[in-house]
Amino acid sequence: MATTFAPTGLLGIKTSFAPTGLLGGVDASESDAGPSSVAVPPEPRLGAIATPPSFVSNGLLGSVVETNSAKDADLPPSFVSNGLLGSIVEPPGINNAELPSFVSNGLLGSSSSSNQDLPETINSQPNTELPPAVPAYKYVIRATTFDGKTVFFRKKPKAARHIRNTTSRPEQLEMGNLLDVPIHRMLDELSLETATKLQASFEPTASTSSNDLPEDTLWVDRYRPRQFADLTGNERVAREVMTWVKQWDYCVFGKNKGKKRAREDEEEIAYDVNDEYRRPREKLLLLSGPPGLGKTSLAHVVARQAGYQVMEINASDARSGSVIDDRIRPALESGRAIGSTKPVLLVIDEIDGATGSGDNSSTFIHKLIQLTQDRAWKKSRSKKKDPNGKRPILRPIICICNDQNAAALTKLRAASLQVRFARPADIHTVKRLREVCAVEGLKADNRALTTLVGIARGDLRGCLNTLQFIKSRNEDVTEAVIRRATVGMKEAESSLISVLNSLFTPLTRKRVLELAMTEAEEKRYVTRLSREIEACGRDSSIAVGCFAHYATLHQYDANLLRFEKAMGWLETFDLLSAAMYSDGDFALSPYVSYTLVPFYPLFKERNARVERSQVDWESQVRTKANEEIYKTLARGLRTASTRHGGDYRHLCTAPVLQLEFAPYLNRIISPPLRPVNSQVIRPEERALLARLVNIMATLELQFYQERAEDGTLSYRLDPPIDVFVTYDGKRASDIPVSRYAVRHLVAGEIEAQLIARRVDIIEREKRGKHDSFFGGNAKSSPIKGDGQEHDPPSSPTKALATPPNKRARVDAPVVDIADRPPTDFFGRLITVPTSRTAQHKKSGDTKFRVAFKYNEGNSAAVRRPVKVSSFL
Amino acid sequence: MSLWVDQFRPRTLDDLHYHKNLSTRLKSLAASGDFPHMLFYGPSGAGKKTRISATLRQLFGAGAEKLKIDQRVFLTPSKRKIEVNLVTSNYHIEITPSEAGNYDRVVIQELLKEIAQTQQVDMNAKQRFKVVIINEADSLSRDAQAALRRTMEKYMSNMRVILCANSTSKLIAPIKSRCLLMRVPAPNSDEMTAVLTHVAKRAYFDLPPEAAQEIVSDSNGNMRKAILVLEALKMQSPDLSGPLSIAKPDWETYCHKIANLIVTEQTPARVMEIRTKFYELLSHCIPPTVIIKTVAEALVTQVDEPLKPEIMHWAAFYEVRMRIGSKKIYHLEAWVVKCMSLYKQSFFQFDMDDFD
Repeated sequence: MATTFAPTGLLGIKTSFAPTGLLGGVDASESDAGPSSVAVPPEPRLGAIATPPSFVSNGLLGSVVETNSAKDADLPPSFVSNGLLGSIVEPPGINNAELPSFVSNGLLGSSSSSNQDLPETINSQPNTELPPAVPAYKYVIRATTFDGKTVFFRKKPKAARHIRNTTSRPEQLEMGNLLDVPIHRMLDELSLETATKLQASFEPTASTSSNDLPEDTLWVDRYRPRQFADLTGNERVAREVMTWVKQWDYCVFGKNKGKKRAREDEEEIAYDVNDEYRRPREKLLLLSGPPGLGKTSLAHVVARQAGYQVMEINASDARSGSVIDDRIRPALESGRAIGSTKPVLLVIDEIDGATGSGDNSSTFIHKLIQLTQDRAWKKSRSKKKDPNGKRPILRPIICICNDQNAAALTKLRAASLQVRFARPADIHTVKRLREVCAVEGLKADNRALTTLVGIARGDLRGCLNTLQFIKSRNEDVTEAVIRRATVGMKEAESSLISVLNSLFTPLTRKRVLELAMTEAEEKRYVTRLSREIEACGRDSSIAVGCFAHYATLHQYDANLLRFEKAMGWLETFDLLSAAMYSDGDFALSPYVSYTLVPFYPLFKERNARVERSQVDWESQVRTKANEEIYKTLARGLRTASTRHGGDYRHLCTAPVLQLEFAPYLNRIISPPLRPVNSQVIRPEERALLARLVNIMATLELQFYQERAEDGTLSYRLDPPIDVFVTYDGKRASDIPVSRYAVRHLVAGEIEAQLIARRVDIIEREKRGKHDSFFGGNAKSSPIKGDGQEHDPPSSPTKALATPPNKRARVDAPVVDIADRPPTDFFGRLITVPTSRTAQHKKSGDTKFRVAFKYNEGNSAAVRRPVKVSSFL
Repeated sequence: MSLWVDQFRPRTLDDLHYHKNLSTRLKSLAASGDFPHMLFYGPSGAGKKTRISATLRQLFGAGAEKLKIDQRVFLTPSKRKIEVNLVTSNYHIEITPSEAGNYDRVVIQELLKEIAQTQQVDMNAKQRFKVVIINEADSLSRDAQAALRRTMEKYMSNMRVILCANSTSKLIAPIKSRCLLMRVPAPNSDEMTAVLTHVAKRAYFDLPPEAAQEIVSDSNGNMRKAILVLEALKMQSPDLSGPLSIAKPDWETYCHKIANLIVTEQTPARVMEIRTKFYELLSHCIPPTVIIKTVAEALVTQVDEPLKPEIMHWAAFYEVRMRIGSKKIYHLEAWVVKCMSLYKQSFFQFDMDDFD
């Protein structure tokens, strides 16, 4: 009686028995007592029953106990079964008549017949002992103890139903309660079953017994890493991602989860100091890398490890800008996914396919960045004012892409922490594959696996798929098998250079062997090459590459016949692609790749390495730059033509500008001037200079001073139209580069003229006002002269003689230069104000002085002394 | 201050120096009050635009010279914005639809309809119609020309169209039949000399006849080019004395260099050398058709008689292909290779095909 019965033990048949929960999914309240506390039933209600033999079974072993009670009828305990399987909780009213104090728990009695058997076999207790007052409570099982007390057990509706299948067999029913299977065997069975069940729950990671599993899961899924420790290869990357996710802990979980470490200070730096939520500085993480290295798995594993629930958005979901508002923002703001207690972590997979390249502000990427940049609102105000206001996002977001340089991601890159997933060293991948092969019972030699990894470029997913495929055909993994299985894998990614190389070099022996080609196959090239070209998908770049390369080959070609043929094919290519791309005739696309194949028979050469030629690209860039200069010049011409009554407008149309105007303009603006001070200049030179300055100023050409790297100063023409006479980096021989001093002189003059022009415009506006007051132009010149005196620095030279109409202005500078004030060595005017006033005094036109203060008071009136005679 | 090209441009039909017949005809047309659609065509620099603006002045008086230049933005069906510069006066509007590239149809349609549907507001105007001048009409796309043809008839009461083109070959027949064709031929050398002396006189200097002669022979009937050269000369050597060296435009000199390269050596290395030169020219925005034409013209002066037609034939052949195709450098080089091959064959006087 004193022995305890542990569930695994085989002994203790006659002992009082308190089952543990292990065997039976029993409610804790009953099994808490554990194996050691034997006679004390855990239920408080049972506390009254102090008699040792009272036996409480939890129902799992109910059948076992029954046999006991049947055998030893001399100590029949009041046996209480708790009805774990409780489908047979009979309302007392039905079975009361036959029921003994024993209440079957249903292990035996899923049917009422077994119940009816019971009284005969087991028991002798009169029915009358049943207290009639027991309420007919559906979920309670009533039992009577040996000494007549009634005990109620609550029904446990959940139970391992399958136990019934295994232990209670049909024979049992026929034989009454006698079991044909010995109890120890049943216990054996049970424990074995439990063991397998337990094992099954560990199955996925310890896949030792997976040989028995049916082949219904992809190996990729089966060997997907489940914990952080499972991640192979890129440990640095994994740690980096984990660190970043951990940085959110303060914000998400409200505290630093881990213990304080010495590194705490370091981590602290990663927080944005200004951020009240102490989020990491970059609120997005951008994982990038080639496919199949486990980026998605990494994100999921890290998220789970850090205690997040993953919410994934990938290419299968709609990813327009509105998704952000409709789905992502609510999820992130609430912080939890529906039906989960964990905080959510957003994983945006394949983000490079999302919209976002344009400047449009409603693209996915744009909105995503906006989302992360939303500031926290000022708490006091906006709670009342702005209930719809945007709240800051307090959950981490991980973006995953293959190509981090995709156009769509330009803006995202700046706003996110970028983690580049590099291809791990092959040795790691091979090691992992070997493990897998060992587990799967696949014979694989190291070389074959290395080859596989090499072909797949480290793509673990691809490798696993290939291996599974091989396994499914029950083959051993050898190199040949691998080669056969991976046909097409590599072709998918043939780079430009590799295509060009195969166009210009014949196959190497080694490669022929690798591809297991026969002699005849080797000779046939058209299909092979055209397919390769097509796979590359960049036929125009290939054509440029062919074009750049073919003429560098030094093969004897006496009359350039092969060149002619090659050019013929290139032309065909160009015509086809032009028809395709400009006329939209894409039906031609299957033929395009064939037009480049002929380069192979024409020019194939062993040991010729094709190098990427940038010539075409550079020329395009230069063309773009020059086009811009032409545009600037044309713009200058147009503004000039608006000022000069449409004079220059015929020169700025396309062919004239480039073919005639640009070259001659360069000659026109570089007259042979001597570098002398403008005061000692000869009259004819002065006229020349005046004309030059005028033309340049009109066309908005200007010399700008520049300091070269060695510190020498130089003047640069802007817009640099001198490129149009510069071919092969050499300037046209008949146009001398004007010397520094000359350019300096000219630049100063142009500056002066531009200022004069500006002043002229201001003056004209002023005059417009005055005209209305004075009713005529007669007085305008003295007014202007005085205005001049008030702002001398801005109007050094020309303003005095600038009459309103354009014709006269043509001659103005000629006069001006004669009067031009002396400049110092640096070209600054020395005595501007004095000379100017002196001139005006000399001209003696200051009879009427007008005092005029701009904006004085509210009145626009002008005060001036007027003689009374003028009124009479 | 304007360049001489503009400064001394004749403003009225009477001021024009040459093609007097044409001027009188235009004058009588303008006077008749019934002014047809017109198509001015002729080589570059012959004076088409000068005549057009002079005709306008004749039609509307000096008001036609008050010009305003502004930009209009047109929206293509694909919502792309195109900026086109318009030169307008009260009486006419001047557009260069080739600025809009492929979308010239949109510009033509919108602008012409807009103009055609508004009546002349100025009650004092001499004529009841407005004039639309379309520059570079030969570069109009087919669509744009088709858009033009019906508009020209329908809005005849409000609007006249003056087209300006280098050649009529690229205009569709319906348009040509709706217009009065005005050919403006290039001036001959005497006429050009007269103009140059006139310009010199207006600019207050003496032009030595030799210099004028040289400029005229160099400019090849292009009056604008001649005056630009004259001004450049005058700027570079103000006294115009001594031996004059007329500067050719740099791209032209460069093209001649290419022709020399082709003749002197025919090897793959030379092909590469020429290619870089072509790239250089293309990057200076010199139209590839002009390049092939200039090089071919320079080339035929240096080869034997029987080769000349061949070279020109292939130049024409590849020019056509170039226009159809998109990558110009291929066609340029294909022509060069062809020329080299031809030259070699003729040089060795036998057909090398037998060896291959």
